[in-house]
Amino acid sequence: ETALSKGNNCLDAAKACNLNDTCKKFRSAYITPCTSSTSNEICNKRKCHKALRQFFDKVPPKHSYGMLFCSCRDIACTERRRQTIVPVCSYEDKEKPNCLNLQDSCKTNYICRSRLADFFTNCQPESRSNYADCLLAYSGLIGTVMTPNYIDSNSLSVAPWCDCSNSGNDLEECRKFLNFFQNNTCLKNAIQAFGNGTDVNVW
Amino acid sequence: KGRRGQKGKNRGCVLTEIHLNVTDLDLGYETKEELIFRYCSGSCDASETTYDKILKNLTKKKKLVNDKVRQQACCRPTAYDDDLSFLDDNLVYHILKKHSAKKCGCV
Repeated sequence: ETALSKGNNCLDAAKACNLNDTCKKFRSAYITPCTSSTSNEICNKRKCHKALRQFFDKVPPKHSYGMLFCSCRDIACTERRRQTIVPVCSYEDKEKPNCLNLQDSCKTNYICRSRLADFFTNCQPESRSNYADCLLAYSGLIGTVMTPNYIDSNSLSVAPWCDCSNSGNDLEECRKFLNFFQNNTCLKNAIQAFGNGTDVNVW
Repeated sequence: KGRRGQKGKNRGCVLTEIHLNVTDLDLGYETKEELIFRYCSGSCDASETTYDKILKNLTKKKKLVNDKVRQQACCRPTAYDDDLSFLDDNLVYHILKKHSAKKCGCV
């Protein structure tokens, strides 16, 4: 039996997207550059990122979040959810940089800098953040060097493509940064609320 | 799902759509994803040109016996719909281009 043999919420969201002209158009507009290999690379990452940003800018959240934040009960579903952003092109890289170095390169780009700031503002677990603002800020990072994705099939834990090895004296700061992605109760609750269809009025 | 679009008998060439599974297309993909397939159907009687008349007349007179000529315009896509992408059962993405009509014409 293949990985995606049973129906699931992520599959339903993909179906709904392809039946909607706008979602269908912008979905293939990023699948194309994100899956086209160039002479010496797996894809043109810059073009893939740009098309992903357009997808989340132009497609109504009902459809874009539907595919990114769908709720899952089995691996077929979570694997499909993980594939939404075509991670082999948009996410993974040959090497995993240190998160603080990645943060520095994010800060040299104005889109990445402002979207990362939005994420840290709007997904603060302590300050009763608004779920819709948090999801918007999180999805806004997709298509920047800070592109996050689900890190495994069993949880809603997410992270950008980086780790905290070689942090030296900044290990604590690095862990704090990475933890804001991986163990963020505000973000997890926001994703869950969307996936369960609760808090519907917000979207 | 699977419902056929309206198909009037004496309507001209029009765009019609049908909701299908990607597997219904028989292109060899294994996936659960779906699509709207749009196609052109209808007659092109109304759009007869002098060219079509001449062809008919010449065929009648058996002046074109050795040639395969079409005496009437065909209802065909004149523009195609946007690309369609989907994830297959093995988590591989595919893109279909020029798979579905956007505009129809008697050509």
